[in-house]
Amino acid sequence: MKEIMMLVVILLPIITGILVPLLPFKQRKHMEVFLEGLVVLNSLLVWWLLTGSQEEAFTLARFTGNLTITFKIDGMSMVFAGLVSALWPFATLYAFEYMTKEEHEKTFFAFYTMTYGVTLGIALAGNMLTLYFFYELLTLVTVPLVMHTLTREAILASRKYLYYSLGGAAFAFIGLIFIIIYGNTTDFVLGGVLDLNKIGDRTNTLLLIYVMAFMGFGVKAAVCPFNSWLPDAGVAPTPVTALLHAVAVVKSGAFAILRLTYYSFGTDFLKGTWAQTVVMLIAMFTIVYGCSRAVKETHIKRRLAYSTISNLSYIVFGATLMTPLGMMGALSHMVFHAVMKISSFFCAGAIMHQTDKHYVHELDGLGYKMPWVFTVFTISAFGLMGVPGLAGFVSKWNLASAAVESGNPVAYAGIVCLLISALLTAIYMLTIVVRAFFPGKDFDDSSIQDIKDPSWKMLVPLVIFTVFIILFGLCSGPVVSFLKDVANGGY
Amino acid sequence: MIYLMLLPILFPILMGISLLVRKEMKNRPALLITTGVSLIITALLGLLAIILARGEMLLLFNLTATLPIIFKIDNMGMVFAGMTMIVFVCAGFFSFEYMKHEQKEKRYYGYYLIVFGILMALCFAGNIITFYLFFEILTLSSMPLVLHNGSREAVMAGLKYLFYSLCGAYMALFGLYFLNKYGNTLSFSEGGVINAELAAGNIQLLLAVAFVMILGFSVKAGMFPMHAWLPAAHPVAPAPASAVLSAVIVKAGVLGIVRVVYYLFGASFLRGTWVQTAWMILTLITVFMGSMLAYREPVLKKRLAYSTVSQVSYILFGLSVMDAGSVTGGVLHVICHAFIKAALFLCAGAIIYKTGKTRVDELRGIGKEMPLLLWCYTIVSLGLIGIPPTGGFVSKWYLAVGALESGMPGFSWVGPVVLLISALLTAGYLLPVTIHGFFPGADYDYQKLQKKEPNSFMTVPVLILTVLSVLVGLFPNVLINFIQQFVTKIV
Repeated sequence: MKEIMMLVVILLPIITGILVPLLPFKQRKHMEVFLEGLVVLNSLLVWWLLTGSQEEAFTLARFTGNLTITFKIDGMSMVFAGLVSALWPFATLYAFEYMTKEEHEKTFFAFYTMTYGVTLGIALAGNMLTLYFFYELLTLVTVPLVMHTLTREAILASRKYLYYSLGGAAFAFIGLIFIIIYGNTTDFVLGGVLDLNKIGDRTNTLLLIYVMAFMGFGVKAAVCPFNSWLPDAGVAPTPVTALLHAVAVVKSGAFAILRLTYYSFGTDFLKGTWAQTVVMLIAMFTIVYGCSRAVKETHIKRRLAYSTISNLSYIVFGATLMTPLGMMGALSHMVFHAVMKISSFFCAGAIMHQTDKHYVHELDGLGYKMPWVFTVFTISAFGLMGVPGLAGFVSKWNLASAAVESGNPVAYAGIVCLLISALLTAIYMLTIVVRAFFPGKDFDDSSIQDIKDPSWKMLVPLVIFTVFIILFGLCSGPVVSFLKDVANGGY
Repeated sequence: MIYLMLLPILFPILMGISLLVRKEMKNRPALLITTGVSLIITALLGLLAIILARGEMLLLFNLTATLPIIFKIDNMGMVFAGMTMIVFVCAGFFSFEYMKHEQKEKRYYGYYLIVFGILMALCFAGNIITFYLFFEILTLSSMPLVLHNGSREAVMAGLKYLFYSLCGAYMALFGLYFLNKYGNTLSFSEGGVINAELAAGNIQLLLAVAFVMILGFSVKAGMFPMHAWLPAAHPVAPAPASAVLSAVIVKAGVLGIVRVVYYLFGASFLRGTWVQTAWMILTLITVFMGSMLAYREPVLKKRLAYSTVSQVSYILFGLSVMDAGSVTGGVLHVICHAFIKAALFLCAGAIIYKTGKTRVDELRGIGKEMPLLLWCYTIVSLGLIGIPPTGGFVSKWYLAVGALESGMPGFSWVGPVVLLISALLTAGYLLPVTIHGFFPGADYDYQKLQKKEPNSFMTVPVLILTVLSVLVGLFPNVLINFIQQFVTKIV
């Protein structure tokens, strides 16, 4: 029963998405209820699926030999699927309000909901082939979302996104082939599946392949130098940027990197090699690079996109530590960053929706006109900076103490990168906050008289995310110990 | 009884937030009464907590499994808490008159109370995590005091303050990650927490970490090379806010260093290492440089800010010698400097409030206009220079004698010499105000002389601080015995 349910939660959103343009909704409200109902239902199913105990893998199709489409729930799937399914209903609710100002709503919601199923497919994938399959599919269903406004800018951005992603997937495919040849199986096994006897003296080749596959999946995780698609893709409507380009899509990249490192190649094989140093340096560079670009950027959404680039590399950095603690740090930042970044993106979206302002320097004095939005934004900014008592501190603590624990001098330098990035985060986030709340002595607020907070559909997700940022910060004990079990193979 | 120590922390923070949020506080009398009563109650609660909950430890909750939030009132914390309460209450009542000519009083008093509570929390923090938590919040919540008047200069100074402080905080955080591994615990304990077994073989790493942490906390204390924010930020704030910034908030950095050096790494771990030497050189440079810059500075409040740079490094110099005498002197100077510098800034504020004059060369004849105030100014100035029988003399005596007795080659006499030169410079930058104020010269037009003595909201706080600074000098034994008692345990 439960095995079939894995397929159901993947297919249900896809079918819902296909139905949206086909069904004749009389009013917009009917579509909203239909969509929200099914998304919530699907999320509930996912949670039911995750809380139950199951070790069974479900094989849908078998091509040849050990090439199968298999779904399996292990610890990592629980984290990613749980995260995605928790965020999707809120993001959908937010999108209803946001999309009132945009056209082609039905197309939008169709692809938006289909993405949910595809992302769950990545989360529940039981082997590399399945992961790869859904990974490609994810690119394809999200391209129309980036292209949504059909401006020249949007089309160029989506083309760039497509080329980058497909190119990356091609490199990942090479990794897949080598795992098939040199591994015992393509299933995900914590500790890796490579057969050392088959490798013989070809260790360096395999390491090179690892680096290539890492970079391949790294395209979605926006590691340097393959990150420029992400800020450009910010032309998409904000629900897309917030949920897909801060959580679902980019974290699929990080998720795939974790799968590749810990479950396919295996940390025993990689740890201490030049490959580890290379990927760690790439992650460290991206951490600082992303933040520096964010400081320079004046468009709010692009600034947040660069911030995402930097924060994703926190996760990747955790992954490259190649210790259980490092993986725990990576997973905790995956979860906590998701909540914080979606919250700040939704604030940016709310600002754009209410005021049509897109640039940082236009935000003077808005803090008093939109107190809810800017309070939420401030808290998420503090969270991203890593103020203790908020979620960001905990995940940074986990990452940094894992780096200390690993005893690797390169990782020590990584801690320095994390802290430089924290300072830069403070700069690019707090300049917005200060502008909004302290507009200066001579500020004339007549031009922003009529601006108000958005309606409850936007505020409810914001407030709930904020509550979680604080909750995760103050009592992260259960979450962190769960993630620790996952990293140690407890699930 | 043990929960009593939370009251002086929570009460002002909650009152501050309620001032910020509640609309009816726009009414000035209501605002002032609420603030005044809150200040006094907080001070009383602090006293009560010190008397009844002294030496007890309160574990509030765990941020994560290994990061507890602990409060503990020890002797060092008591000294800092006592100083904080006196200065905050005095400067608070001074504000009632001074803030009349500034806008947005509600915001000012709100953040003022919040900062008060957070400083109490810093004094009562029982481990470095709790300390760090409140250290960051201190930066964030004291920034609105700096940029209060909203001019471009103030906002830039506020941001400068923010980013320097955060930079320092992150340097401290860097050390925290390592202490977490190499220490037995993160709680403050006399003599340090370094685990000798783990530390063996990593001594150089740990020394570097200690140095980074000292540098990090010294940003707040305005030590060279990270002092540049202080002369920018302190003068632009409203005078009573400058008073607490210069007198108390910089001491949060001092307290951080005390905690790191004497309660986490332990004096025995650092004594005689390159860390001690480097740190001492930096403090001596700062002492001299601060005085020199103050001497050249024409604007009174800026001059006082440079003086803070120099004087706080007296304290740091005493701490860096790591001799019982000099540390006693340092801790005593924390108190003396707090009273004196608060009084000086309040005098400067009163002058600005009454006459609008900010530059030293405009202050000719000021002593004829407001004699009481300038007498107070003169007496505390003598204290800062170190002329008996004021408090400054006693603390500097201990600083110098401690340095001479420490027997460190070279520094045992270079230190006292620098202190002496700086004392001369101190006289050079403070006394001209007195001299020109009381002796305006033969061509001074006595016909135009108006009595401008401010009302008792302004004079009484200044008078109290002056009397206290003299009392410390007249009857130093009580304090010194108390300080020596606990200093001998940690050195």
